[in-house]
Amino acid sequence: MLVDVRNLVKRYGDLLALDHFDLQVVEGEIVGLLGPNGSGKTTAINCILSLLQFDKGTIEVFGQPMRPDAHDIKRKIGLVPQNVAVFDELRVEENVDYFCGLYVRDRKSRRRLVEEAIDFVGLNEFRRFFPRKLSGGLLRRLNIACGIAHKPRLLILDEPTVGVDPQSRNRILEGIRELNRQGTTVVYTSHYMEEVEQLCTRIVIMDKGKTLATGTKEELKAMIDGGESVSVEINFLSPDDLAQIRRLPHVTRAYYTDHRLSVRYDGGEHNLLHLLDFLKARDISFNRVFSEQPTLNDVFLEITGRQLRD
Amino acid sequence: MFMHVFSYRFKCLLHDRETMFWTLLFSLVLATFFYFAFGNLTDRLESFNPIGVAVVDNRAYRNDARLRQVLASLSQPGKGQLLELAEVSEEQAKSLLDTGDVAGVVKVNEKIELVVRQSGIEESILKAILDEYVFMSRTVMRVLANNPAAVREITDRKSYTEQISFSNANPDTMLGFFYALMAMACMYSSFWGLRNTIDVQADLSARGARRSVAPTHKLTVVLADALAALSVSFAEVLILLVYMAFVLRIDFGNQVGYIVLTCLAGCVAGVSFGSLVGTFVRGSGSVKTAVLIGLNMTMSFLAGLMWAPIKDLVSRKVPPLSYVNPAALISDAFYSLYIFGSHPRFFINIGLLFMLSALMCTASFMKLRRTRYASV
Repeated sequence: MLVDVRNLVKRYGDLLALDHFDLQVVEGEIVGLLGPNGSGKTTAINCILSLLQFDKGTIEVFGQPMRPDAHDIKRKIGLVPQNVAVFDELRVEENVDYFCGLYVRDRKSRRRLVEEAIDFVGLNEFRRFFPRKLSGGLLRRLNIACGIAHKPRLLILDEPTVGVDPQSRNRILEGIRELNRQGTTVVYTSHYMEEVEQLCTRIVIMDKGKTLATGTKEELKAMIDGGESVSVEINFLSPDDLAQIRRLPHVTRAYYTDHRLSVRYDGGEHNLLHLLDFLKARDISFNRVFSEQPTLNDVFLEITGRQLRD
Repeated sequence: MFMHVFSYRFKCLLHDRETMFWTLLFSLVLATFFYFAFGNLTDRLESFNPIGVAVVDNRAYRNDARLRQVLASLSQPGKGQLLELAEVSEEQAKSLLDTGDVAGVVKVNEKIELVVRQSGIEESILKAILDEYVFMSRTVMRVLANNPAAVREITDRKSYTEQISFSNANPDTMLGFFYALMAMACMYSSFWGLRNTIDVQADLSARGARRSVAPTHKLTVVLADALAALSVSFAEVLILLVYMAFVLRIDFGNQVGYIVLTCLAGCVAGVSFGSLVGTFVRGSGSVKTAVLIGLNMTMSFLAGLMWAPIKDLVSRKVPPLSYVNPAALISDAFYSLYIFGSHPRFFINIGLLFMLSALMCTASFMKLRRTRYASV
């Protein structure tokens, strides 16, 4: 096991940031820590990296207790922090060389690694640029290059795509998949469920410093009865009508927000037809109709009663 | 590893335009300003223009050969010229006095008369010259009448005191301003020290977090950063010194070696002080910068860099403060070169600066070496 975190407790005064948090990461995985802002993802990462003091619990990385002076362990870890951590006074290639040089002493090997990292994130034509001349997306790519240049066995990315345009985001996600194919184990934190769903082989859902659920995306979705979800755009729906809908066969949950009726089923057939028949019978006019498979947001909603984006 | 961190740190600091402005360009601009504002102060204070005097060219004057000889010698053009003499008619003399072209009119009758329009320094000098002439003339006449052989002794004036310099130094009002400026430039090194600590602490910057995660010993990073900061700040102070010496032509005499040593000790103290503030003052980078500026101003004030008498007051009333204030030690080192030119006091200051720096560095590192933070 590459990372083994057990019963981790971290308090900021009265605030319980991590509440007996557990995390196990096996070699070769892409583990996603998914949770809303303030759920404790970054705190957990900082504890794992020995940057933060914690009140209780154990952290082992590469089978060894993680300590601030565990340089042998640190040598195998790469970090891409949430805030871009580069020197504005150094050019792109100098930044990558600087951070790579903190891990790799041999100048010749380092030169090769820096070239590969710059090439990997697609910053070849910007290598002589200073960071302030780069767009947000390119800056994020530089941030990643500085974290991966030394070819870490374990790569920790803390919300690496915040504020990034879709093109750069896709490139970043594809890059992470490629690193994983090359043998890097990845821990990826995000509050974007689509990213986590698209990228991660295993997902840990967090809220209020706790691990709420762990599994593959299929396993997590199976946790919420696996039924379909139907959404209908309706201009007006009375509370009485909503209550009636909740009593329809196989309906497990129904709510109406922003002129949109969302209904979840736990099985059954022709659920959509039954719902539309009901609306017609009540003379309720509706616009577009969607039938969806459950998402991680539904899983989060099921467990916490809140939307992931709340 | 040390050289890797040092070389990139050096490059980083060199490209930090904002800090570079305050630590180098500001000092150069201030030196230029001082030069133009006070540059001619000494010349103005020490320069002397010959005093205009009109002598009524009458028969009595023409017959007084000694007076004519004395006035002519005092009007000889050259460095020692005291008077600007005009031998004119009485009307012309009056006219010159009215227009202010001359400070006084000398008229020889039975007695020598001096006519002035107002009392002032020039008028007083004219009066003193004439009084001295009259006194000496009478004395010589009396001696000639009684003992002619003694006349030679009257004219041979001998001084029984010897004027010697207090030190080898060449105290110059102007030089004091430029030494104070160099002391300020040394203290500005503290901004580099502060920047270093921000970039090394995970709870203050993302760069600090990334560097803390790397498998590099903290002492290596801290020392390499500090050496880079010291190199940049010392180079800046040397540039300032060269600019003052060769562009502004400020004469630092034969003390240049000691001045450079003071600058080095001052920069070491400055960088150490910045590190101390960066590690021990709580708050964000902006808060630390504000505190550092405030402390620098206070220390400079107490060192007499803004108001000279406070330095003496602090030395008398709170002597320990002078020994722990880097700005006071730097300024006192310069002061001992500038006033005394003697080196025991200078070396005490330099020694204290290095000791204080060692203490500040040790305290900073003890705090910086902590490896986990309460909050990131």
